[in-house]
Amino acid sequence: MKTKFLALAAGLMAATALASAPAQADVKIGLVGGVSGPIAAMAPAMIDAAQLAVQQVNEQGGIGDGETLSGVVGDSACNPQNGTDAATKAVNIEGVVGLVGPHCSGAVLAAAGSVTIPAGVVLVTPSGTSPEITGLEDNDTVFRTVPSDDYQGRALARTLKEQGYEKVAVAYLNNDYGTGLANAFRTEFADQLGGEITQFAAHEEGKASYRSNLAELAKGGADTLVIFDYGDGTGLTILRQALENGFFEKFVGGDGMKSDAVINELGAENLATFVASSPVGEASESLDVFNAAFTGVGGDPDAIFANTSYDAAFMLALALEKNGGQKDGLGAALRSISTGEGEPIMPGEWSKAKELIAAGTAIDYKGAAGDHNFDENGDVPGTFALFEVGSDGFEVLTQMK
Amino acid sequence: MEFLGLVNYALFMAIFIAIYALLALGLNIQWGFAGLFNAGIAGFFAVGAYTSAILTSPAAEGRLGGFELISPLGWIGAMIAAALVAWPIGKICLRFRSDYLAIASIGIAEIIRLVIKSEPALTNGARGIPGIPRPFGDLGYMESQVAYLIIVLAVLIAVYVLVERQFNAPWGRMMRAIRDNEDAAKAMGKDVEFRRLEAFIFGAALMGLGGALFAHFNRSITPEAIDPMVATFLVWIMLILGGSGNNRGAILGAAVVWIIWSVSEIATDQLPHEYAVQAKYIRLFLIGLMLQLVLRFRPEGLLPEPLRGDQRAAKSEADR
Repeated sequence: MKTKFLALAAGLMAATALASAPAQADVKIGLVGGVSGPIAAMAPAMIDAAQLAVQQVNEQGGIGDGETLSGVVGDSACNPQNGTDAATKAVNIEGVVGLVGPHCSGAVLAAAGSVTIPAGVVLVTPSGTSPEITGLEDNDTVFRTVPSDDYQGRALARTLKEQGYEKVAVAYLNNDYGTGLANAFRTEFADQLGGEITQFAAHEEGKASYRSNLAELAKGGADTLVIFDYGDGTGLTILRQALENGFFEKFVGGDGMKSDAVINELGAENLATFVASSPVGEASESLDVFNAAFTGVGGDPDAIFANTSYDAAFMLALALEKNGGQKDGLGAALRSISTGEGEPIMPGEWSKAKELIAAGTAIDYKGAAGDHNFDENGDVPGTFALFEVGSDGFEVLTQMK
Repeated sequence: MEFLGLVNYALFMAIFIAIYALLALGLNIQWGFAGLFNAGIAGFFAVGAYTSAILTSPAAEGRLGGFELISPLGWIGAMIAAALVAWPIGKICLRFRSDYLAIASIGIAEIIRLVIKSEPALTNGARGIPGIPRPFGDLGYMESQVAYLIIVLAVLIAVYVLVERQFNAPWGRMMRAIRDNEDAAKAMGKDVEFRRLEAFIFGAALMGLGGALFAHFNRSITPEAIDPMVATFLVWIMLILGGSGNNRGAILGAAVVWIIWSVSEIATDQLPHEYAVQAKYIRLFLIGLMLQLVLRFRPEGLLPEPLRGDQRAAKSEADR
C-alpha cells in the first residue's frame, strides 16, 4: 500500500514538476482568457487575434533593437479564482510587462484587484464590459478596448430620441449583457431625455413562445419595441412573433440583434421598420485591413471580440516600443499612442509605427474596432452607428453620438 | 523567472490554499464527521463573500451597502449570515439522505446564485461588488500578500484547533456515532435531527468565512466566482483526496489539489506554442485522473480518518 501511494504521489508530482526554464523571449505580454469555462467557444479566436498582432510585430522588426515579442497564454476560465491564478503566474513566473485580458468582467476585477494593480502591470481587457471596471482605482494601469455597456445603451437612447421615437417598450434578456444595456438605455431615455418607456420587462432565454410577454409589453400603447437580446437566439423568436401578431410597428435592437440570422430568417422585405445599433468599427478601413490579415492566418474575422483582442495586443506592443520595453510608465505610453492626434497607424503597420516612434513623431493608432482614444478611466467611448436593413444586408442609417 | 516572482507566486498559492482549506474543513464537518452530502458549498461561499462585501465596502448607488465596517467584523458577519441561511435549509433538507441531499443542496446553491445575480438592490446583480477593502492592502505588492497570508493562516490555525478540539470531544464521538449508525445513536437518546443540523450550520459558517476571505483578497466579488466547478467540486476533490474525516487531511488535500491545479499550467505551457490553447485542457484532465487514481488505489485519502477506541486496539493487535 505504502509503495503504491508513493508511486502515485511521485507520478503526480512529476507531472507538475515538468516546469523547466520557460522558452527565452525578450519581451513578454500575457494573453489571459477564458480558454476553459463558459466562454470556451469564443476565447480561441480572441487569443489567435492577439497572437496575430504579436506575429506581425516580430515579422516587422520586433520591439526596440529587434527584441522578440511573445504572447504567453493563460487560462482565466472566466472566473475570479482562475483569473487571479493565471494573472499571478503571468506576472510573477513569466515576468510579463503587460496583460491582454482576462476576458470576463469578474475575472478582470479580481485580477486587477489582487495582482496587476498592486504589481503595477498594465492590463488591457478586450471584452470586459462591466461598468464597474470604470471605477477601479488603478493608478492608470487598467484599460479596455471594448466600450462599457453603459455607452451603447445611452448612445442608442440619444439617437432614437433624435430620430423621433417618443414612446417605446423595452424587452431585454435577463443576463448581464441585456440588463446592463437596458438599464443604461432607460436612464438616458426616460430620466434624461424625457422619453416615455411604457413597459420595461426582462425575459428568460430559450422559450418557444413569447406571445404572452409581447401582449404584456404592448399594453402601454407604444408602437416601438426595443429589444436587447441576441438576433440568433431568443431575440429572433421575439421579433418574429411580434411581426406575425402585429404587436408593434417599429423595432430597435442593440448590437446583439444586428445579426444576419435576422435577415435570413425573416426576410429583408419584412424588416423595413427594424433598426439596430452596433460599434462603428464595422465599417472602417482599419477593420478591412484586420479582417484580411486575420483571414490570412486562418481566423474568422466575424468572431466576437476578435478585433478588440487584436487592438489590445497591438496597442500594448506600440506602447512597449514607445516605452523601451519597460513596465514602468507603460500606462502613460499606452495613452500617448492613441490620442486622436498624430500620424495615423493602421492595424499591421508596425514597421511604419516603429520608424515614427524612433523619430519622435506622435502616432495615433486607428484600431480595427474603433479609434481607442482612452478617457481618464482607461475606457474607450466607443462610436456606434444605427443600421437599417437594405437590399445588401445592414446599411448605416446614421452615426450615433 | 526571478526569485522575487517565485516568492510572490508562492505567497499567492499559500493564500489560496488557506482559503480552500477553510472550505474543506467546513465540508469535513458536514461530510467527514456527520455524513451529510452537501453539494452546495458554492452557495454558502457566496453568502459569506457577499455579506462581508456589503458590510465593509464603501457606499454605492443602487445597492445595499455603505456600512464600511472593519474587515474582521465583515468576516464575523459572513459566518453569521451563512449560518442563518443554512438553518432553514438544513431544517428542510436534512430530512433527505445521501444522494437526495446532494441533489437538494446543488439546487439550493443554484437558487442562491440566481438570487445574487438578479437582485441588483442587494448585490448589484450580475456586475458584482468591487472596492472591497483588503487589510493592509495599501502596502506594496509583496508586503500586502505577506500580511494577508499571515491573517488567513492565523484564521486557519484557529479554526483547525477549534474544530480538532470539537472532534475529540464527546461531541465528535457522538457525530461519528450518528454517521455510522443512526439508529443506535437514536436508541442511546441522541437527538439525531438536531445534531445533524448543528453540524450543517457549523460547516456552512466556515464556508461563509472562506468566501469572505476570498472576496477581501480579490477586492471584489462577482457572480462568476460562484461557479460550482471551482467553488464546490474542487473542494470535494480536495477533501476526498486529502482524507475525509481527518482535518489535517482536508488541509493537505487543499494544498495538493491547488498546487497541481495551478502549477500544472506552467508544465503544460512547455508544450509547443501552437498548442498553447489546447494545453489548458490538460489540467482539467489531470485533476480528474488524480481523483480516479486516488479512488482506485487509496479510497480513504492521503491521510485517512484516525482510528479510535476499539478499532485502534484491534489494529495494533493485528500489527503485533
